[in-house]
Amino acid sequence: MSENRTRSGVPLKTFYEATDLPRPGAPQSPPGEYPFTRGRLGSGQKAAAWIQRELSGEGDPAHSNAQLHYLIAKGQTGIDVIGDSPTQAQMDPDHPLAVHAVGTQGVSLCCKADYLELFHGLPLDGISISSSVPSLFGMTGLYLAAQAAGVAPERVRGSVLQVPLYSEDCGYPTYLPCELRARLSADVMEFCAAAMPRFHSYVEDTYFFSESGLTAVEEMALGFVEIRFLARELLRRGVPIDRFAPRIAILVNCSMDFYEEVAKLRATRRLYARMMKEEFGAQDARSLSVNLTSHTSGLTLTAEQPANNIVRGAIQALALAMGGAQAIEISAFDEAYRTPSPESHLVGLRTQQILELESGVSRVADPFGGSYFMEALTSELERRIEAMVREIEAEGDPVHLADSGWFKGFFHRAMERHAREIREGAARVVGHNVHQIPEEEDLLLRDVSERKIRPWSERVERIRSFKAGRGRERLHSALSGVLEAARARTGNLVPPVLAAVEADATMGEITGTLRTAYGFPYDPHRMVQPPTMEGAP
Amino acid sequence: MVLGLLGMDSHENGAIAVASLLRDAGVEVIYLGRYQTPDTLLRAAVQEDVDVIGVSCHSWEYLEYLPALMERIPAEAPDVAVVAGGSVITPADAARLTALGVAAVFGSGAAPEHMVATVRRLAAARREALELPPAAPPGPPAPTPT
Repeated sequence: MSENRTRSGVPLKTFYEATDLPRPGAPQSPPGEYPFTRGRLGSGQKAAAWIQRELSGEGDPAHSNAQLHYLIAKGQTGIDVIGDSPTQAQMDPDHPLAVHAVGTQGVSLCCKADYLELFHGLPLDGISISSSVPSLFGMTGLYLAAQAAGVAPERVRGSVLQVPLYSEDCGYPTYLPCELRARLSADVMEFCAAAMPRFHSYVEDTYFFSESGLTAVEEMALGFVEIRFLARELLRRGVPIDRFAPRIAILVNCSMDFYEEVAKLRATRRLYARMMKEEFGAQDARSLSVNLTSHTSGLTLTAEQPANNIVRGAIQALALAMGGAQAIEISAFDEAYRTPSPESHLVGLRTQQILELESGVSRVADPFGGSYFMEALTSELERRIEAMVREIEAEGDPVHLADSGWFKGFFHRAMERHAREIREGAARVVGHNVHQIPEEEDLLLRDVSERKIRPWSERVERIRSFKAGRGRERLHSALSGVLEAARARTGNLVPPVLAAVEADATMGEITGTLRTAYGFPYDPHRMVQPPTMEGAP
Repeated sequence: MVLGLLGMDSHENGAIAVASLLRDAGVEVIYLGRYQTPDTLLRAAVQEDVDVIGVSCHSWEYLEYLPALMERIPAEAPDVAVVAGGSVITPADAARLTALGVAAVFGSGAAPEHMVATVRRLAAARREALELPPAAPPGPPAPTPT
C-alpha cells in the first residue's frame, strides 16, 4: 500500500471536505432502506449485531463435534465448519493421496453417518450452521442430520459456499468440469429455494479466492461476476428472482486497509441492491439487501511474531463491524504456521466479544455514514467494481473463461504481484519486512507452533471397514441413479445425490460417479476404482 | 530445479512466489505444482536432470513425505540436493530435516537473496562434481550468501 493510495489503487487526499461528497446535499437512505449502503437492517433491529464464530473442524466428526460444543460453551453464536484437505477436494479419507492429510487441517467428512456425528446434540433449529465443506455435501449432510434429529429441514438456518467458477484455481481442485460445477450450484439453490427456505444456499465466497492477493476491487468484481452468472442460470430455469435472491449472501475477506474495507462493504451492498433491482427486477427487500458475512484475512498474518496477528485480527474485525457485517470470523493468530489451536480460537472469539461488549462499536449502525471521505471512497469503489465486472464479462462466457484458465491466470498474477510487493517493500508487513527481530528473540506464543495434529489413521481404517460393511445392492442402485441423472444433463441432481448419501454412498464415490457421467476419469489421480468395479481387473 | 507441493497441500502462494523469484534470478524452475509425492518428485528430477528438488510446505504432510523422499535419494538421485521451505516448518522441524539430509530449509522470513544464492550454490556444486557445464547463462553475479 503506497502512502497516498488505497490497496486497490484509489488515490487519496490528505483530508476531505463537503465538496468531495458524491452528491453534496442529497439525502441518504437510512440503514434498512434501498440501496442499503448504510446497512441491511433498519431501526427497531439491533444496530450492528453480528454472528460471532470461528472457523473450526479437526480430526474425525466426533472430535469436531466436541470442538463445536466447546466453542458454543464459550459464547460462539454460530457455527462454521471446514473440512480437511481431502474433504475439500471431495476425496474420501481412504484415498491413497489423502492418508497423511486426514483430519489435520479440518474435519474429515465423507458420509451420512459423519454429518450425524458432527452435528450431534447441537441446536439445529436454534443456531446458524454454516459449512465451508463442498456445498453439495454440506447441504445434503445437514439436511439428513436435521431429519435424523427430528428437526424439519425447512427450519434450518445456515449456509453453504458456492464458487463454481473459481474453485478449481484457488481451493482444492475437484476435477469436475466447470459446466457441472455450475449445474450443481444452481441445483442446490433451486432445491433449497423449496426445501430449505431459511437456509442460505448460495454464499458467494469471495474470501478464499481473494486470498491469492486480490485487491478489494478485484475481489468484489469477481464475486459479482459469479453471482450474476448463477442468477441468470436460475432465471433461465424459471426460478423467480425473489424466490432465490433472498438466500444469497457474500462471504467477504477483510484485509488491512481499514477504510477501504469499510467502504468495500458499503459499496458492495449498494451495487448489489442496484443490480438486483435494475438488472434482475427483484422487488422483495430481502432480495435487494445482501447479507455480508466475513472472515479476516489469513494472508495478512505473519509467521514471525505471531502475537501481532491478534492485533491484525482485531483491526480487521473492527472494520467489519463498522462496515455492517452480519457475521464475523477472525483468522486464528497461529494460522500462518498451523491449523488453529484451541487457544487461538478462543482469542479470536474473545476479540469479537470485546468489540461487541466493551468497545461500544455495535451500538450505532454505519458510524461512517455521511463522512466526506467514506462516502467518496464508497462511491469510487462502487464505480471501480462495476467497471471491472463489465470488463470481465466482456471477455466472454464465464464457464469458458474458467475452463480456458483465464481466471487462473488472473489469480496467479495476483499471487506474484502480492509476493513482489512484500519482497520489494512496497507493502510493509511489520515483523516480516520491517521491524523484524532475530529468531531467538521471537518466542512469544511460539510454543503452540510446535504442537501438531497427527494424521488420523484410525479414521482411515474406520472408513475402510464402513465401506466394506455396506449393502452393495442399495449402494450400486443409488450410484446408478446419480450417474443416469447426471448424464441426462438436465434435471436437478440434488434428489439423486441425497438418495445416494442416504444409501451410504460416500462423497468420493458420488463425486467420481459425477465425473464419469461427464466423461472424466472416476479418480483424477487414477488410484481408486468405483465400488461397482471393485474386484475387476 | 523442480518445485512442487506434497500430497494434498494446496497452499500455492508461497511456491508460486518462490518460483517467480528464482526465475527472475535466472534459475530454470520446472514448476510441478500440487499433488506431488516422493515418487513423482523423484521421477521428474531424474527425467529433467535437475540439480535441486524444491518442496513447498504449508501442510503437515511434509512430516511424513520428506523422510520418505530422503530415504530414496541415495539410491535414486544421489547427487540431487533437496531444499524445503514454508511457514509451517518450525525451528525444531528444520533441525530434524537437516539431520535427514535436507540441504537447506527456508522459513517464511528467509531473505530472497539468501534463497537464490543457496539454490545456485547447490546447483553449482552438483554440476562441478559431475563435471557438467554451469547451469545458469552468464548474467549478473550471484548475490553474496548471507
